[in-house]
Amino acid sequence: MLTIVVRSLIIYIIVLLVFRLMGKRQIGQMQPFELVLTLIIADLATIPMAEVSVPVLHGIIPLLTLSVLHFILTLLTKSSATFSKIVSGKPVIIINPKGLDYNAMKQLNLSTDDILSALRGCGYFSISQIQYAIMETNGKVSVMPKAEFSPATNAGLKIEEEESFIPITLVSEGKLMKENVSLAKMDMEKVLKIIKQQGGDKLKEVLILTVDKAGQSYIQFMKGEGKSFECEVKI
Amino acid sequence: MKVFHYVNFALIFLFIIAVCVVEDIVVNNSLNQVKKDCYEIENQLLVSEDINTMEMSLLVDNLEYNWTNNESLLCYMVNHKSIQEIGTEISKMKSYVGSNDKDALKVSITSIKYYADNYLHFMGANVHNIL
Repeated sequence: MLTIVVRSLIIYIIVLLVFRLMGKRQIGQMQPFELVLTLIIADLATIPMAEVSVPVLHGIIPLLTLSVLHFILTLLTKSSATFSKIVSGKPVIIINPKGLDYNAMKQLNLSTDDILSALRGCGYFSISQIQYAIMETNGKVSVMPKAEFSPATNAGLKIEEEESFIPITLVSEGKLMKENVSLAKMDMEKVLKIIKQQGGDKLKEVLILTVDKAGQSYIQFMKGEGKSFECEVKI
Repeated sequence: MKVFHYVNFALIFLFIIAVCVVEDIVVNNSLNQVKKDCYEIENQLLVSEDINTMEMSLLVDNLEYNWTNNESLLCYMVNHKSIQEIGTEISKMKSYVGSNDKDALKVSITSIKYYADNYLHFMGANVHNIL
């Protein structure tokens, strides 16, 4: 049994490494060849885990071979548009201003229910609201609504808004995020000063403390509600 | 970072090649060694009528020793179940030497040579195995 435990650990680490090397794409964002590789890898990994008479190398070598193959395919798809079309296909317009494209639907083996379901997923419940819908190579549907159904934007409404910034987490669950603190060009003393200004005393009392470039900050203590405030210390 | 990525895949690629080469060498050497030891036993069978002798025991022990060493190395690369027959035949040979059963010993040697040839075929890289 110990053999199986150790083998499982080895295979798990190798699969983890292979996936890390392959990139961070999620299942829904995968190209067809990536999905195929993922399915094969999942199957390959289980064989040497459970079958003690099979050497671990029999599991590792195919995994590594597939990761190299994936790397080569990615390089080729990036460098050649033709190759990319062959391996990943190309986006297909399924709805145009005239309505549903029946030929495209036949080509992609899609039913009207599939399209309506995808549109609902994008927040549109009627085909009449859609100007264009495109089936992407990863199977997702991108939708461009007709002008009257487009969401209002600040630009459309001619409203001037200040740019917002990504908040940086300085303290999380009582721990100082040293990398983020140096990124914000701050130090421990400045962070403690902010905490004290907001009625705290120690770092350990803080559940979360974030700050952005504009000085907009948010703090929540372990015991208490969260609150936004203007921070004197600007990044 | 990109260079690091390329280096990673180059290293993996080299590792795969190295494993393939080492596997081929180890499999060939191990099985050829078994066949060589079997031929030595066969030669000894030709010169002596009696097989319950010190020379024959040493030859069979030598075959067993070489195979045990090579088998442990082979187990890293091939399915253990695929190579267990040779070990079984060697243990039979030891009892045949003790009971002076020359015909049974000959059968075992033939079997081992047959298994070794078979293993060489299905463990080697050839079109039959690939397809």
